[in-house]
Amino acid sequence: MDAEVDGILVAAHELKAPLAVLRQLAFVLDGATLHDKRIKKDMINVSERAIKQVNDLVKVRRLEEGMFVMEPVAVREVCDAVSYELRYLFNEKQQSLKIHYSNRSRLVSANRELLYSVIYNFLINAMHYSDVETETLLSVKDSGERVKVMVRDFGPALPIDVWREMKRGWIDKPLSIAMRPGSSGLGLFIASRFSRYMGANVGAIRHRDGTSFFVELPVSKQASLF
Amino acid sequence: MIFIIDDDRIMANCIADVVQNDYKVFSNAIDAMNEISISGLPKLIFLDILLDGPDGFTFLNELASYTDTARIPIVIITSLDLDNRDLAMYGVVGILKKEKMTPQDIKDYVDKYE
Repeated sequence: MDAEVDGILVAAHELKAPLAVLRQLAFVLDGATLHDKRIKKDMINVSERAIKQVNDLVKVRRLEEGMFVMEPVAVREVCDAVSYELRYLFNEKQQSLKIHYSNRSRLVSANRELLYSVIYNFLINAMHYSDVETETLLSVKDSGERVKVMVRDFGPALPIDVWREMKRGWIDKPLSIAMRPGSSGLGLFIASRFSRYMGANVGAIRHRDGTSFFVELPVSKQASLF
Repeated sequence: MIFIIDDDRIMANCIADVVQNDYKVFSNAIDAMNEISISGLPKLIFLDILLDGPDGFTFLNELASYTDTARIPIVIITSLDLDNRDLAMYGVVGILKKEKMTPQDIKDYVDKYE
């Protein structure tokens, strides 16, 4: 099958999933009394995530048009903003998000909007593959002339074929659903494309008890004080 | 007891809301299999296919490997196109598409097998 068509199929499948959930929630809401608040909250969360995925896909198309300006970006501020947005989801899934900053370089050369999406997709992926009462670790540290943002989960090990794609540096198309069930194949593809556009390295480390995804961004020379 | 196996918590809760009584929700096939060995056979299983870890087909194969578990009626709930597959030999009594099914579809299976 043509790679582009295959990619569209995977994207369509992943976008169909939240729509199916919203439809079921609407049915439940129809006769609901006790769980009204939970259902409404679920509907909002699911629809917001679906909208974000669609927006990210639109951004992938706009990458080719060079619509995103590279500028000095404060990594910690972006990490704080993403983790703030996702704190409710982590709470709802009874998982915790631990943040550890050890980088000296405060600014990197990136596009804030794209970097936000990369970290967001890594965290959603970690959340999806982690069990209840487990921890996800978001860390930022210096790595030579780059700043490394890493998301570590303690879920099942990354399938070897997905890891190979990541090790190669980036993902060509949304990964086959057979390889990676759930909702993260599209997210990893998006994170990979955005990182490549920003001149950043992406990769994954397989652990015995989980996976780390990372993006390494070049330090901004323009605004560096070090 | 009815088992609901789906790694999407919200979808699993939607199904549970219809089943109402005497059900257990699992996010992966391994936990469900372990529960069967501890608590005995469920009357019915609603099974998603794309799961974390072993997928739904692996679970079906595992159930089909034992004479007792091979008799458990299973309703597959999926967004994959499985319409043309004959899965009766795995105990599959129905396939519901996530984007088309209604609470009544779930209730019909519950009423039939509970």
